[in-house]
Amino acid sequence: MFHRLCWLAVLTSLLLVISLAAGCGSSENVREPVKLGGIFDITGATGDVGKPYAEGVQAYVKWINENGGINGRTVQLVDIDYAYKIPQAVEAYKKLVTQEKVPAILGWGTGDTEAMVPFITKDRIPYISGSLSENLLTVENHPYNFMVAASYSDQARVLLRWIKDNAAEENPKVALIYNDTGFGRSPITDAEAFAEKIGVEIVDKEIVDLKALDATSQLLNIQKAGADYAIIQETSNATATILKDAKRLGLDIQFLGLNWTADEISLKLAGEAAEGYIGVVPFAFPFEDVPGMKDVREGFALMGKKPEELTQKHIQGWLSAMIMLEGYKRAGENITGENIKKGLETLNEFTSGDLGAPVSFSASSHRGSSKVKLYQVKNGQWQPITDWIGYQ
Amino acid sequence: MTFFLQLVVTGLVVGAVYAMVALGFVLIYKSSDVINFAQGELLLVGAYTCWTLVAVYHVPFLLAMAVSICVSLFLGIAIERMVLRSFINEPVISVIMATLGLSSAMRGILQVIWSTDTKTFPEIFPSAPVIIGPIAVSRVYLYSLFISLAMLVIFSLFFKYSNMGIAMRATADDQQAALSMGISVKVIFAATWAIAAVVAGIGGILLGNINGVNPSLSHIGLTVLPVAILGGLDSIPGAILGGLFIGVLESLSGGYLDPLLGGGVKEVAPFVVLVLILMIRPYGLFGQEIIERV
Amino acid sequence: MRLRNPFVMESGVFTTNYRDDMAFHFPVLAKIRVAVILLLLFLLPFFASTYFVSIANLAGIAVIGALGLNILTGFTGQISIGQGAFLGVGAYTAGFITAKLGLPFWLALPAAGFVTALVGAVFGVPSLRLKGLYLAIATLAAQVIIEFVIVHWETVTNGVHGMFLPAPGIFGYALDSDVSYYYLVLTACIIMTVFCFNLFRSRVGRAFIAIRDRDLAAEVMGIDLFRYKIYAFALSSFYVGIAGALWGHYLRIISPEHFTIGVSIQYLAMVIIGGLGSVMGSIYGAVFITLLPIVLRELSGLLANYLPNIEAVILGLKEAVFGITIIVFLIYEPEGLAKIWQNIKDYFKLWPFSY
Repeated sequence: MFHRLCWLAVLTSLLLVISLAAGCGSSENVREPVKLGGIFDITGATGDVGKPYAEGVQAYVKWINENGGINGRTVQLVDIDYAYKIPQAVEAYKKLVTQEKVPAILGWGTGDTEAMVPFITKDRIPYISGSLSENLLTVENHPYNFMVAASYSDQARVLLRWIKDNAAEENPKVALIYNDTGFGRSPITDAEAFAEKIGVEIVDKEIVDLKALDATSQLLNIQKAGADYAIIQETSNATATILKDAKRLGLDIQFLGLNWTADEISLKLAGEAAEGYIGVVPFAFPFEDVPGMKDVREGFALMGKKPEELTQKHIQGWLSAMIMLEGYKRAGENITGENIKKGLETLNEFTSGDLGAPVSFSASSHRGSSKVKLYQVKNGQWQPITDWIGYQ
Repeated sequence: MTFFLQLVVTGLVVGAVYAMVALGFVLIYKSSDVINFAQGELLLVGAYTCWTLVAVYHVPFLLAMAVSICVSLFLGIAIERMVLRSFINEPVISVIMATLGLSSAMRGILQVIWSTDTKTFPEIFPSAPVIIGPIAVSRVYLYSLFISLAMLVIFSLFFKYSNMGIAMRATADDQQAALSMGISVKVIFAATWAIAAVVAGIGGILLGNINGVNPSLSHIGLTVLPVAILGGLDSIPGAILGGLFIGVLESLSGGYLDPLLGGGVKEVAPFVVLVLILMIRPYGLFGQEIIERV
Repeated sequence: MRLRNPFVMESGVFTTNYRDDMAFHFPVLAKIRVAVILLLLFLLPFFASTYFVSIANLAGIAVIGALGLNILTGFTGQISIGQGAFLGVGAYTAGFITAKLGLPFWLALPAAGFVTALVGAVFGVPSLRLKGLYLAIATLAAQVIIEFVIVHWETVTNGVHGMFLPAPGIFGYALDSDVSYYYLVLTACIIMTVFCFNLFRSRVGRAFIAIRDRDLAAEVMGIDLFRYKIYAFALSSFYVGIAGALWGHYLRIISPEHFTIGVSIQYLAMVIIGGLGSVMGSIYGAVFITLLPIVLRELSGLLANYLPNIEAVILGLKEAVFGITIIVFLIYEPEGLAKIWQNIKDYFKLWPFSY
């Protein structure tokens, strides 16, 4: 008995010692690399899309180091997997900021990004997140959050505007489908307000859980409400469920979805049912031959990834890293959080080789863009039906 | 009326999927008094194995299914041997935590093998729905309804008439007595886990065909727990009827209560009903009442 | 008379009357030891990095929550999988009082405890009729229902948008840095731990233990099962509520995503690994579970220097190691870290003449 106990004790203390030792071993360099923090979900609940996002960031950092770095300095990405757990995200943040002393961070989810807000404001750490929640855009409360693409609310507004412009009816009837999380509810109030303003009628709001196996009851209610269009704010899996159930029930409703519903996975899962579905696409698909894609393919080749393995989430990560590091470039020699913030705020119609909409920040607005492209599924393929469009 | 019927039928077929998953819980509980929180991960194993065979090695679906069932079978035995055997006669909390730990462990290992991205099955079941009168039902769901009804019959007969089934019930009732009657409790437990893993594997394969396979598929284990509790943890008809009941309950409350209460009722309704039923019948609708003596 | 030679190890029980026997067993050396540990804890921010202090904060909050769960699960034998949601009740109560009503934190902290205790008591009612697994499921239902309420009761909770909380202040000094908050958490931890130690020397505490060991026998001996089970739920929830309030004001923002079932499972793991029915065990367990992912991460980073491709695998195995740790503890030392530590102490107590 005692031997076993001893082993356990020795092992635990060994682990502790090693970890502490690992924490202390940093050394000074002459031309120190600049650091960039990353808090990603690689193994957690959203790992299916979080991992490609993280890989996108890693690929961009690799690529820029191959191509001269930032103002002649290499970039060191310090990324931590927080497994979509908020306490672990907080711990990761503390490590990045107090120990690694990173001047800026790329983050991931809605919940953990919001949990960081008081911290990043106090520590002055510019933060770009995978979440596009409109909440993060009030500059007074979120002075260090930057958003590289249209927020969920803006995406919903663009869709509503598009419906208004393209519908045969005078007052098109629209239903909203979303999930009961911060992510899901984020655009709903704004969408309702905008719909009223432009004369689109919101006839029904339905909640479909992200893990739902079935959406029949919700879809039947939408049908009862007489909706001609339905806007979906979910993830790929729930979207596929909704599209398949709608096809099975034979509903005559045009479905449109925000960015997390419009990717390769929802298309594959829904199969034929996805035909005609319209999605908001703020980041280019890897199969598109836009000017910026050459660098992307080079960057991922450095990671040993083939172009056909890439997804749209890879591009999102790539683009987020690109914009954050552009801020580094503009911060000059003294790279601090504040200078990066100032640098980012000078971005004006920054084009990323068409990987995303042109991005502008200013001291009064961190809304990078309110423009998106709309794509439609035709013959089992996502095909663009608009250029970058806004809702004005 | 069509609205109501469509809701009921959809509820029934979705409930059948729940029932199948719940059956895994019940089988294990019935013979070993263990509730297996890793049931969701057992689903994943079946689904992933089948996916690999079908999508990567292009094995015909039925053969792939048979192979995955075998894999699940051995996995079930292995889990019982390596983990659960140490917990015979341990307090409930230890067993709960052991299976919770098992679920974390399996999820981690599965992640290393299959990564976290969503795997999609090539189309196996025709996607055109079956039309019954005014009602449309997906084929996959219809199959799962048939399979779960078949399992209800098979396992009811198994526990009533086969030697193994009777031995399992005896073991659940009193391990000491069963041992003294010459029943090998170890073999019984191993067999139980093997069967439960197979049931879970079949459920996983069907679920994978509905909406692809990724680690979040395992959450259905937790979703379905109220089903098993509602029906009574030691009752096979309870699992099946509980599944159908919860399916219909979700569907109807989604159809009629969601518009009134602003949505989201569908997910909580089973839990509210669960608490109410547990207050009246603490051992579930069909579960066996345990009389305590000092 | 007890042996009062400060230079020798404690080597046996030398009490001669019941009063001494009931007392905390505190030889001089142990008193010194406690004093040194307390002193070191209070001085920690002076020699540790801010990062280390921030981990200590997370661990300290976890300790309070784990103590709460241990009162219920470890000492009273009632399983709860609803811990995460009760944490949310505490955090939101405190948040409502400080952020929406603008009252001071010092009022919000106990209020959070009491409101959570009330909610806990309500969800404890089924425990009269439900046992073991069925009770676990009823608390799981509590988790789901409370989460639903938090998301939908927007006038109080701001729903999914979350709520910004002000930093607690003392004498006009805001506790908004890791170091200042550390002293708040540490003080709370010490008070809660001492209370917990004393609880199990009291009538109520002993009733809890009697219920755990054999509820029917306890009832026959005159313990009002219903009342004491409700007490256990309330008291446990009080602790959890305090932990929730501290957690919310540490982050200074709360949203429903902080209080999921995953949190409940983490807390259960803490009490299991630390030791069910052991006050010190709750502390060890909370610290262990807080440190585990960090240690694994550092380890994988370290190994990655030598084996470049190992990091991805270890990252995936983090979850697996968490699970395997739980299983290994359950199999080899069901009484947890507390028992391991006790065994080590016992070994050295008689060393080198152990037999």
